[in-house]
Amino acid sequence: MAQNIPGIMKQKRITPWLYLLPALIVMATFILYPAFNTFFLSLRNLDNTGWASTRCLEGQPCWGVFENFRYALTSDVMRTAFVNNIIWLILMVSGTVGFGLLIAVLADKVKYEPLAKAVIFMPMAISFVGAGVIWKFMYNFGSSQVQIGLLNAIVQALGGQPVSWLTEPQINTFALIVVGVWMWTGFCMTILAAALKGVSVEVLEAARVDGANEWIVFWKIMVPLIMPTITVVITTMVINVLKIFDIVYVMTGGNYGTEVIANRMYTEMYANYNPGRASAIAVVLILIIIPAMIFNIRRFSEQEKIR
Amino acid sequence: MKQKYWWLITVLAVVSIVAASCAPAAAPAAPEVMEEEAPAEEEVMEEAPVAAVDIDCMGAQPGDEISMLYQWSGAEEERLNQILAPLVEACGIVIVPESTRDQALLDTRVQAGTPPDIAFWNVAQLVQYENLLIPMDSLEAHTDNYESFFRSPGTVNGKWLGLPVKADIKTIIWYSPAIFEIKGYTVPTTWAELDALVEQMVANGDVPWSMGMESGDATGWTGTDFVQDILLVEQGPEYVLGLQDGSVPMNDAGVKAAWETYGKWAKDPAYTVGGAQGTLSTGFLDAIYKVFSDPPEAMMVKQSGFAGGEVKAQYPDLEYGIDYDFFAVPGAKGLQGGADWMMSFSDSAAVKALVAYLSSELGGANWAKASFDLSPNKGAAGNYVDPALIKKGEALATTTGFTPDTGDTIPGGFGSAEFKALSDFVNGVDLDTLLDSLAAVQAEALQ
Repeated sequence: MAQNIPGIMKQKRITPWLYLLPALIVMATFILYPAFNTFFLSLRNLDNTGWASTRCLEGQPCWGVFENFRYALTSDVMRTAFVNNIIWLILMVSGTVGFGLLIAVLADKVKYEPLAKAVIFMPMAISFVGAGVIWKFMYNFGSSQVQIGLLNAIVQALGGQPVSWLTEPQINTFALIVVGVWMWTGFCMTILAAALKGVSVEVLEAARVDGANEWIVFWKIMVPLIMPTITVVITTMVINVLKIFDIVYVMTGGNYGTEVIANRMYTEMYANYNPGRASAIAVVLILIIIPAMIFNIRRFSEQEKIR
Repeated sequence: MKQKYWWLITVLAVVSIVAASCAPAAAPAAPEVMEEEAPAEEEVMEEAPVAAVDIDCMGAQPGDEISMLYQWSGAEEERLNQILAPLVEACGIVIVPESTRDQALLDTRVQAGTPPDIAFWNVAQLVQYENLLIPMDSLEAHTDNYESFFRSPGTVNGKWLGLPVKADIKTIIWYSPAIFEIKGYTVPTTWAELDALVEQMVANGDVPWSMGMESGDATGWTGTDFVQDILLVEQGPEYVLGLQDGSVPMNDAGVKAAWETYGKWAKDPAYTVGGAQGTLSTGFLDAIYKVFSDPPEAMMVKQSGFAGGEVKAQYPDLEYGIDYDFFAVPGAKGLQGGADWMMSFSDSAAVKALVAYLSSELGGANWAKASFDLSPNKGAAGNYVDPALIKKGEALATTTGFTPDTGDTIPGGFGSAEFKALSDFVNGVDLDTLLDSLAAVQAEALQ
């Protein structure tokens, strides 16, 4: 039987690799090479003329060739950045997914559903920088009598003292997170709403007939059924939030204790011309994000298996 | 029918996109440049008709090209063209300019091995590209036209790598003579008088300072400028230069005293508009406007020479010398200033001709006549035409010391660390902690 197949149809061992070759070249050039080069640079000094260990100072702690990582992991400003990123992570992920789910469920019950969803989704169409500038006006703190910032105008109209939202260390990070939640809730809502539409009406009807109230229907039926989607949304948001940069850069520039990891990376690279440190921060950021990515990929392959 | 309708819309959309993207690129580019260059040349030629004869072409042939990278655009670029016109006229050199604010462009070009022949950039790049730049002496720059304190910031490890072409002074305070007269205030001539004036204003219920320093990710530079001026008063230029070469650590007692003097004003709503939060969240341009608004929110703003232009742009009715003017920070020994540095990656004959021309007395004079800020070149003296520039030029010509911006001079992230530390200080963070960590950054950067 085998002899009847013409030679051209036979696949040699090398054939699949030939099919893969274009993709492999693209991957290698644009992903693998930059990744390895970033790691290499993270071990180098300021202008890539020697190893990072040459930057060590006498009498100061030194991590040898990993000196840039000492900065990326232990310096004061990076510690602030880590703490802020954790705050961002907890509040923004729970905020976007929570509000997204809430709005998806509620919008499902009203007549003007498309309109409500469009309004919530609208901020996604604005660039981060644009949103940052808009919210900078919202939070504006005028040192003169007239407050042109909406929030302070309201505070003043109610008889309160205007607050400098973006420079007060106790509130500024939260003020920035509000912007992030405002932007990304629409994204979460859209995906979760699509998943909710996939929950079959029969199951919900059956539960209601059995006497379950809406609260129980939501927690015991809807949420478990769309759990896979919720986890995917959560991991996507985790990756998004870890990379958060634009809002912080535009609104505070990382000042007044609002520093985050990605903003520090930018500052080291383009303001301080210190590619070694910037690369070290990039490597740390990648290492933090990788678990979330692995989790996401596992989810995908599990779903593929179910199919 | 329906299909035709959609077809029409598609065609219209494509046509409008093409028109929108092509029109501005093609139309103004060519004619505008021509218009700008032609009158500029005439103007200069009228003013200095014999000038062309004095220009030494250093063997450059007509048609030789100089590629240039600078951050100026619009009116600034026009002025540069006006200054370079006599050289272009005399030697037939072709300037191939490129204007960008993006430092990354310069870095990329240099790393790729294709740097521009000439870059007009900041002092930090002289250190960054120390090994690639051609020293000014070997390009036959006219050394005598520059005081040593103008050459020394551009000198790296004994090599004079940068020619300071355009300077601005920072050690000045802007105020309104009209308001001062109404309120009965007089311009102080010593630091003690300034201190007394500030207290007098507070006692009268006026806010003396407008110190806003918000400037995106560079927030704080207005403040570090102010602190450096205080250091020039309290300690003098040698001390400031010591900070810049690392012989004086940032946590020295003198630095702490200067920060405290600054903080006393910058954190208190009686002394500055809005107190600490006002200082942090008011944009540096708004801070300038506040002194000249009607009614004024503050009496004085310490800001570089460019503030005058900002006042004029915001309030076109105000007149220099009557409604807005400046005085030097009283008691300051020497000036603080910023400069744009010309640096050369090439030693071609055309580049030599350019360096020789700009560093000559004629080059300084033409720079002054073009009203393109100040020129540290001695030839500029007496050639300014704008009244504010005449006054600033006098201050620059008679100064006994010139210190560049500390944050710009120390490489490797000291500048942004200093900005951040100052804004944290105004925001209430402990001063000793901040200065200790700044001293560590300083030591690290200058090792």
